[in-house]
Amino acid sequence: MVATTQETAASPAVRARARRQRDEELLVWPDLVFVEFIAAVVFTLSMTALSILINAPLLDRANAGVTPNPSKAPWYFLNLQELLLHMHPALAGVIVPTVALIALGAIPYFDRSHDGQGEWLSTPRAKLNLILGAVIGTVGTLLLIVWDSSKHVVLWARLTGNDETDWPTKLNWLRNARALQDEINWPSEITKIPFGEKVLRTDLLGLPRIDLNLNLPALLVEQILPVTLMIGLPLLMSLVLHKRGIARTKRDHMIAQFSGFIAVYVVLTIIGTAFRGQGMELLWPQDVVPPVS
Amino acid sequence: MASTERPEGRSLGDRVYDMLFHNYVWQSIFRSGYPNTPRNQMLVVATNVFLHLHPTRIHRTHVKITHTYCLGGLSFFLFLGLTITGVLLMFYYVPSVERAYEDILALETDVRFGILMRNMHRWMAHGMVIMVLLHMMRVFYTGAYKPPREFNWVVGVVLLVLTLLLSFTGYLLPWDQLAFWAITVGTNMVGSAPILGEPNRFALIGGFVVGPAALIRFYTLHVIGLPLLAAIFMAVHFWRIRRDGGLARPL
Repeated sequence: MVATTQETAASPAVRARARRQRDEELLVWPDLVFVEFIAAVVFTLSMTALSILINAPLLDRANAGVTPNPSKAPWYFLNLQELLLHMHPALAGVIVPTVALIALGAIPYFDRSHDGQGEWLSTPRAKLNLILGAVIGTVGTLLLIVWDSSKHVVLWARLTGNDETDWPTKLNWLRNARALQDEINWPSEITKIPFGEKVLRTDLLGLPRIDLNLNLPALLVEQILPVTLMIGLPLLMSLVLHKRGIARTKRDHMIAQFSGFIAVYVVLTIIGTAFRGQGMELLWPQDVVPPVS
Repeated sequence: MASTERPEGRSLGDRVYDMLFHNYVWQSIFRSGYPNTPRNQMLVVATNVFLHLHPTRIHRTHVKITHTYCLGGLSFFLFLGLTITGVLLMFYYVPSVERAYEDILALETDVRFGILMRNMHRWMAHGMVIMVLLHMMRVFYTGAYKPPREFNWVVGVVLLVLTLLLSFTGYLLPWDQLAFWAITVGTNMVGSAPILGEPNRFALIGGFVVGPAALIRFYTLHVIGLPLLAAIFMAVHFWRIRRDGGLARPL
């Protein structure tokens, strides 16, 4: 008897909440199992239809002596192959993807708040940050690719009615990233720094002498500039969004950064897949011909 | 006259139902009755090894297709489909430089439904990469990586890498120009890493160029090594979803 009175005295609110939660719930069988079954059937049918309609590609037998032009990696790695055109191979092929994966895995350890959990973009400025991040990522990547492929020179020639060769010689260093190295008269002291001979004196430790000459302008183009841009531009975006009061919480910044990352990933993949022809030249998709051996 | 007074017998449907679902053999397989009452519907989920990946009840918003678009489930479904078509392809494929390409040609011309199996395996593989990426985006934008699910997001990133590696190792197997040069380009990227790049590349392709050693290594990784690893991480991934209380809910 005592137990009953205690229960009724203490629990109406608790029991009401439990009942409300129960009312919000459905049984997995049939409600969820049905959805899963339909999804599986639709997917099986569409995959079968696709496989009947389109054949998997098969070219000639592998031949190490015949290199197709261009040789491309599978599409999901073409973003890295695209990066390869613009920076040092160690950066593009290994360091950038490794850092990107670690950063991706670290997201929940950085943004630990419960804001916006369990609902699509439910924090106040989520959609705005998504759109801005994606647009900035897309436009920024496209601009950088256009610049490094010297397409701004083509555009300038079109707009002014000049020939591409009329690009002012004084501005040659602005043709692309590599021009920063080639078109500027760097003093020879910094294009050939005897690093192994003067700085890293391993021979003093009894180790073999390292034969390494540093070329500072090359280092600038292949490593310093890409790293600065890849770290600096996202930081700049976050800073501007923060100053303008668009990104206020960690979740806002995460959404902007993640959307920017996805946009860059997608743009690089599409450019690498559809816009790169022979010699990995930047072309419109209709001008890209199948690889020639 | 007598017919109106005769007690109503059990209908044919009832008797067939009993014969099918209340017999000794059926009940030795499925302990719960046919899931047409709430009790049996919960029991069928809780006592079935496959269905018990699910809880017995689920919040009504999570059944809405627009909440998840089934992306994680479809990734898993594609993994299963790839396993089935992959096993069938293994019947006909020998991973040697002499035979690989001829086997693919034979598969396309001599084997009944061979080309369908190969096409399905190929398109499902591409589909799985896309699904896993989309699933990652869904989890991010619904904030489902937040406490207590932080580590499951990390497991998911590992599964993304495993998916890419599974696709990449399978890419070499047809041993055509597309496969050969894609893997050459891809493994050259690995080789460009400072210090560890070249040894890693050598270990991966078993030599300085993509050749017979690379083919057998990629094949072994593709059909047993990576799928086992992926299965283990998937088990952890699904288990943790259940332990953390199912899909994320607003607090």
